[in-house]
Amino acid sequence: MKNVLTAAVLMLAATTVSAQAPPGAAAVEPELGVLAPSNLAKPRPKAPFNLTGTWFVDLNFPGSWRFGPPYPKLTPAAQVHFDASRKAQAEGKVYRDDIGQCWPAGVPLIMTRVWSIAMVQLPTVVYMVSGFMNSLRIVNMDGRPHTDPDLVVRSFNGDSIGRWEGDALVVDTTGFIDHHHWIDSGVPASDALPIVERIRLVGPNGTKLQIEYTMTDPKSWEGEWKVTKQWNRVDSRDMEIAEVVCLPDLNSHIPSTQSKENIR
Amino acid sequence: MKWRFAGCVAVAVTALAGPALAHHSAAGIDRSKSVTLVGTVRQFGWTNPHSWMEVDVPADAGGMVTWKVEMTSPAFLVRAGWKSTTVKPGDRVSVVVRPLRSGDPGGLFVSVTLPTGQVLGERAVLPAPAPAPTP
Repeated sequence: MKNVLTAAVLMLAATTVSAQAPPGAAAVEPELGVLAPSNLAKPRPKAPFNLTGTWFVDLNFPGSWRFGPPYPKLTPAAQVHFDASRKAQAEGKVYRDDIGQCWPAGVPLIMTRVWSIAMVQLPTVVYMVSGFMNSLRIVNMDGRPHTDPDLVVRSFNGDSIGRWEGDALVVDTTGFIDHHHWIDSGVPASDALPIVERIRLVGPNGTKLQIEYTMTDPKSWEGEWKVTKQWNRVDSRDMEIAEVVCLPDLNSHIPSTQSKENIR
Repeated sequence: MKWRFAGCVAVAVTALAGPALAHHSAAGIDRSKSVTLVGTVRQFGWTNPHSWMEVDVPADAGGMVTWKVEMTSPAFLVRAGWKSTTVKPGDRVSVVVRPLRSGDPGGLFVSVTLPTGQVLGERAVLPAPAPAPTP
């Protein structure tokens, strides 16, 4: 009887192994997700600060919520959009207002939409959820590289990897989608755009957050485009984020998104 | 039409009014003009990212013109004293809007005079930054 049991256990073990890896191949440990307890528990240097909280763009900071002016020297392809945008603006018209048609704002514009942003920091990841359209940013901090370019699913908020560098959290984002994605009115973002954000807590006891953006996009502008924005920590309950979605039947009630004067 | 232009009454639009509506561009709105709509609330939407109101206004040629009025988010309206029940279909109101440049019956909300005579706007009040923790 004992021999029968031993044989059964060995057969079961062999079956299990063969289900996990082809014969002759070494079994590969699955990569841990950012919320896996064993990943969270790995020893890491202490983070210089904690972003967890609710943040609201500082409209009194120079530049407020817009990314430009000033603008970098645009490529001819981007200049076509920029000129059309300024012409429309001079005529009191809206140019390619994709956000008004429910397209995601995308990074970087989603960060300054004049809505609260909830941030949750863990040792392995930072989640940023904008109150505007509940847009989710995931900044992976567990040491992984960017997603393989052949595998990445391009998105409006991109593929973000963060690392601590002195007193800053440096976030490198690539993998952006290249349509209906704008940095400012008439300034398109392309699939060649990487953005590096240097995030620091400033002000008394870290109640202000600053991000220095360095954006390069050879399809849309020349060189580096640097912009700094600031947010205030807001702690009151009425500044918490809530469910916000863009719906076709809502938009039908919003006259400025439906005007026949808009240039699509 | 019964609605009337209040002329180019340059009621200052606060710098915050634009970005507070940050769903979309408001370039199609003529901020130099005000229109006062005297009519009946047809619908009121207490929704994110924008609240909205439809107001039936008698037309000179007879019948009604339905104006679509675009408002800010409930969170900002609450700061200005609104509740979801502040207006309801059938209420007789007077609504001031910044009209669309296109001439279509629609515009950006400025203020409402309720049947009670109370006037409410949507003044976008900046949220108070968190105080620095005391050591």
